[in-house]
Amino acid sequence: MTMLLDIRGLSRDFGGVKAVSEVDFHMNTGEILALIGPNGAGKSTVLNMISGVIPPSSGEISFENQPMLQVAGHAYASLGITRTFQNLQTFDDMTVVENVMVGMHSKGKSSLFACGIKLPTARKEEKEMREQALKWLDLVGLPDISSRLAGSLPYGKLRLMEIARAMVSGPKLLLLDEPAAGLNHTETAEMSRLFKEIRKSGTAILLVEHDMDMIMQVADRIVVLDQGKKIAEGTPQEIQENKSVIAAYLGEEEEELVKG
Amino acid sequence: MKVINKWGKGFFLYLFLVLIFPFLPIDEYYRSVAIIIGFHSIVTIGLCLLMGQAGQISLGQAAFFGLGAYTSAVVTAKYGLSPMIGLLIAMIIPAVFAYVLGRAIAGLQGYYLAMATLAFGFIVQIGITEWESVTGGANGMINIPQIAFFGESELRMYYLVWALVTCVLVFSLSLLHSRVGRAFRAIHKSEVAATSMGINVRSFKLSAFIISGIFAGLAGGLYAHFMGILDPQPFGLHESIKFLTMVVIGGMTSIWGALIGAVVINAISEILTVLREYIPFLHGDVDTIVFGGILVLIVMFMPEGLVPKSAAFLQSMKMKKKAARGEEDDQSMERKATT
Repeated sequence: MTMLLDIRGLSRDFGGVKAVSEVDFHMNTGEILALIGPNGAGKSTVLNMISGVIPPSSGEISFENQPMLQVAGHAYASLGITRTFQNLQTFDDMTVVENVMVGMHSKGKSSLFACGIKLPTARKEEKEMREQALKWLDLVGLPDISSRLAGSLPYGKLRLMEIARAMVSGPKLLLLDEPAAGLNHTETAEMSRLFKEIRKSGTAILLVEHDMDMIMQVADRIVVLDQGKKIAEGTPQEIQENKSVIAAYLGEEEEELVKG
Repeated sequence: MKVINKWGKGFFLYLFLVLIFPFLPIDEYYRSVAIIIGFHSIVTIGLCLLMGQAGQISLGQAAFFGLGAYTSAVVTAKYGLSPMIGLLIAMIIPAVFAYVLGRAIAGLQGYYLAMATLAFGFIVQIGITEWESVTGGANGMINIPQIAFFGESELRMYYLVWALVTCVLVFSLSLLHSRVGRAFRAIHKSEVAATSMGINVRSFKLSAFIISGIFAGLAGGLYAHFMGILDPQPFGLHESIKFLTMVVIGGMTSIWGALIGAVVINAISEILTVLREYIPFLHGDVDTIVFGGILVLIVMFMPEGLVPKSAAFLQSMKMKKKAARGEEDDQSMERKATT
């Protein structure tokens, strides 16, 4: 197993508040790593830094041995890092298939001019994009609704559509920000099944999630953050027995207690 | 052509109307009105790509229109180039200006972008007025040659202009349902999401500016050769706002809307001209008041604009009919994407 993502000394301040401080961890190719912690632990901030949305205050992120801090935000997708968003970022006035086709953007080359006059190369590319998008809609369990407007879809389906949009370009690393938030049990189970399928296809997943059942079921390893610091790292079994993790979660009343 | 299949009846109706219009039994004056509508349509379709699709407001579109007009006028009237070459240069110069403007204001959004494009509009209009040696200043230019399109006549000009409108229309409709069009719409909705899909937000905003500048320049060039005379007056804020009103009335998200908006605003303008003969107090700049009023009403009661609103209305009528026949139909949930 080779190292895919390596994070060292990652920190981020927001106006003097240390949201994330000195976090180190790594990911291997094709594994599912869960990033957990009480509310405000800095999980989403870490994910935003790895996806290039916000720059770190200090620290290093390297992806396939390439330092990522100088890489432009729009280049992440073509390098093989894609993501979904905690508060959905779907294109409501586009159809479902168009939404997913936007995810293929980095795979396309057609220029504005080629698209406008429909050059044969642009048509071919469009057809391939559509086929790939339909294939992924099928894989995430959303067949037959490709021509509906995304804005007319219920929440759970939009979550799945966002995953299809992130997966359609065939990334090496998929970053998921609370993909099960707002889903019911059936939908969550369906989502877990999908993650295992994605791992099988060779894509690694970094999962930020609150649903402990889901995490224990799908994660290969878990990294626990509390107040911006890493407090534990290990297999689901090890994390369940870790005293400092239990303490961190007990401190948060509204959080579910991790049973040891 | 696929485009024609896709937009089906609507597109054929459009072609039919454009082809037969000059032969309708109406005053020949309306043929020149139709030519002017053609110029406006080319500008508004470009503005629709920029504003409705990519979500970048421009209060300086008339400046690109003016740049195109003066470019073609100067190179043909002063340097004797053929009008066809003039039109070509009339697309290149605004494109260069759009590139420079786009680069300079790439990071601006919302009000700041509106202000910057507004300032650009003023600068261009003042520039044209002050550069007397070339543009003739406030007195303007005369003797701008006509376009020889299989000979010179207004009928031929009509068909040339509307052939170009059709090209611009088909180009833009094709663009909309392509990688680039989706990128525009994605940027409009969420720059963060667009970036994470690999869309270079800055460069696509820039290309939206350039393409809208090219269209406006082309329309300007045609305008100059059609009018034969030019002065800087029609290339200011007033005209920019008029273009914006056309796009908003038709429906910002719809390319067809841009065209319909140009037709509607010009039609109202003509109606006001006719009414003026009967109603004395309609003198002065009534157009502006009426357009402003329409803009306010549209934004208040029909913010999506005429074309998307009517499309939704037709759709609901269809659904009602089907429901009346007692048909269960999943298709009813399907709605056509933005056209």
